[in-house]
Amino acid sequence: MSHQSSMNKADFISSIILTLFGIGVVVESLRLPRLENLNVNAYTVPGIVPGFLGLFLTVAGLAIFVRSIRRGGWKLSLNKDGMRRWLGSAMVMRTAVTVVITMGYAILLFPNVPFWIATPIFIFVFVVATEAMKYGGLPDRKKLLTALVLAIIAGLLINYVFQDLFFVRLPGG
Amino acid sequence: MDGLISFANSVGSILTSWSAVDVVWATLLGIIVGMLPGLTATLGVALLTTLTFKMEADQAILILVCMYVGAIYGGSRSAILLNIPGTPANAATALDGFPLARAGKAGSAMAIATTGSVFGGLIGMIALAVIAPVLAEFALSFGAFEFFWLAVFGVLISGQLTSLDDPIKGWIAGFLGLFIATIGQEGIYAVPRFSYGSTDLSGGIGLLPAMVGAFGLAEILTVMRHEAFEAVRAKSDSVWSGIREAYKYKFTAIRSGLIGTLMGLIPGVGEDMGSWASYAAARQTSKNKEEFGKGSVEGLLAAESGNNAAVPGALIPVLTLAVPGSAPAAVLLAAMVIHGIRPGPLIMIESPGFVYSVVAMVFLATIAMGVLGLLLTRPLVLVLKVTRERLMPIIFVLCTVGAFAIASRTFDVWVMLFFGVFGFILRELKYPMAPLILGIVLGDILDKSLRRGLVLSDGELMQFFNRPISMVLWISALLFILLTMPSIRKLLGRLFKQKAKGGVQ
Repeated sequence: MSHQSSMNKADFISSIILTLFGIGVVVESLRLPRLENLNVNAYTVPGIVPGFLGLFLTVAGLAIFVRSIRRGGWKLSLNKDGMRRWLGSAMVMRTAVTVVITMGYAILLFPNVPFWIATPIFIFVFVVATEAMKYGGLPDRKKLLTALVLAIIAGLLINYVFQDLFFVRLPGG
Repeated sequence: MDGLISFANSVGSILTSWSAVDVVWATLLGIIVGMLPGLTATLGVALLTTLTFKMEADQAILILVCMYVGAIYGGSRSAILLNIPGTPANAATALDGFPLARAGKAGSAMAIATTGSVFGGLIGMIALAVIAPVLAEFALSFGAFEFFWLAVFGVLISGQLTSLDDPIKGWIAGFLGLFIATIGQEGIYAVPRFSYGSTDLSGGIGLLPAMVGAFGLAEILTVMRHEAFEAVRAKSDSVWSGIREAYKYKFTAIRSGLIGTLMGLIPGVGEDMGSWASYAAARQTSKNKEEFGKGSVEGLLAAESGNNAAVPGALIPVLTLAVPGSAPAAVLLAAMVIHGIRPGPLIMIESPGFVYSVVAMVFLATIAMGVLGLLLTRPLVLVLKVTRERLMPIIFVLCTVGAFAIASRTFDVWVMLFFGVFGFILRELKYPMAPLILGIVLGDILDKSLRRGLVLSDGELMQFFNRPISMVLWISALLFILLTMPSIRKLLGRLFKQKAKGGVQ
């Protein structure tokens, strides 16, 4: 499948989302208070600018939608095998692992666990997981030890620089 | 003359204090940040903003300017040695830098890039000193109508030039940015918009967490998605021969410096286009066109002069109009506001010395960049040996802490995460990031200017169109839009062909 063909399909789906989003912005802008009780000038109502922006996004979304249909982007030709191959590809796996580990750190560890503990754990897990994907198995003992040392030094150093040198209060304890 | 004295005083005061040390470390850090694929100048300036916001304003801005200058230059190293531009501004550098490195001329290539960057930086700096005061005075005549068009013009031009193949995506990115800026309490009646009862959202979306996400996490995801890279292992020659070679093309460097400055001046366009436009002009006028893309010294010099000249160029609208010329300049603008500096048309009245201080900062950063770049050629190559698997988690920790540090709010970490994932998806769909960020910066100006303009004109739309400066801005924006339409371009092409035929007959 060519890059242009994939982009047409991506444009087809994203233009639908964009158009719906634009319509949503227009509707929500119309629902914003018009402050008639304060006798404000009709040209200064809070919804006027986002309303115009929503209108633009709707029109632009429709333009991409029409273009993607002309280019055959609506032929999504989704099938189970294709999806499975795509989901199992190294690119998607690397992205998914990165998203899961980074989100886990930022949402769960960072706000709840003391920084000097949470950060080395995150760095170690990230390095080991991504190196395991790179080498096709768990890294050897030397690499694991390097990852551990890197995680501890980096975690403690960042903690020191932010907290003690630049007086940033860190969360999680 | 007053300007020259202010400039000399600023240089003197920086050099005779501890600030000189700041120039060295911040520029070196900038070079390292620029070198590492996955770290951009924007992210570097954004992270340092969070670290320096408790410092004195002059010291903090000095550090940020040094980071900015260093990072745009540093990206040339990875472009030359890895064929991967360290920052998007160094994409054109890779075209000729990498073939030179593969031919065993990595040392020369790095010296040519350094010489070009210094040349470009100094030309841009002179332009900053000359143009900023004039533009600031001119901008005093700007009212709501002109600022409205400036915002529209900025988003449209930025959208078009950063997405030349598909301008509509650039415009959408810009308008999405403008919309994001409307989230939270609006500036006239303090009515919360699109906040749905959330006190965090009522405060609006912070520019810095959004930028750290869009340029940090999004970049991490992009880097991790693709295959790993390997540094070139060919033998390297001496850097000094490169300087001599670069000197042969001094006029190319001067022209590229001027083009780069002009590209920097245009809102939201910045270093990437500065580099590409200079490269294209050098190729068009070169006697050795066939060497471009195969290791042309002239091409490499033009690309690097162009992007570094765009740095001071991008600072001109920041200081005089409070409109950023590029994404890193947008962070610098936010940092200035955090430190109580009010960039805009009144800057030459309220704090004329500050403009010349910034000129002095750019000058010292450019000199430090040149010296460090030439002296530390070999040690700096070691930085490229760090694998992405080990570097990216550390960058992400810095992004998380950086987003949190601005206001000590976990909400800003979520904003960073959202913009990281959102930015990654947009990039994969070929939507550029620069107009999105410019939109967030200009959203407030557009919102207030349109509503104030409508009140002043009592709903009379003609007043937006018939004032002289407004007219120039809207006609330029319209021409830009029309010229991107394939049907209009075809029609123009046909017209010119017919005219040329008529002339021959």
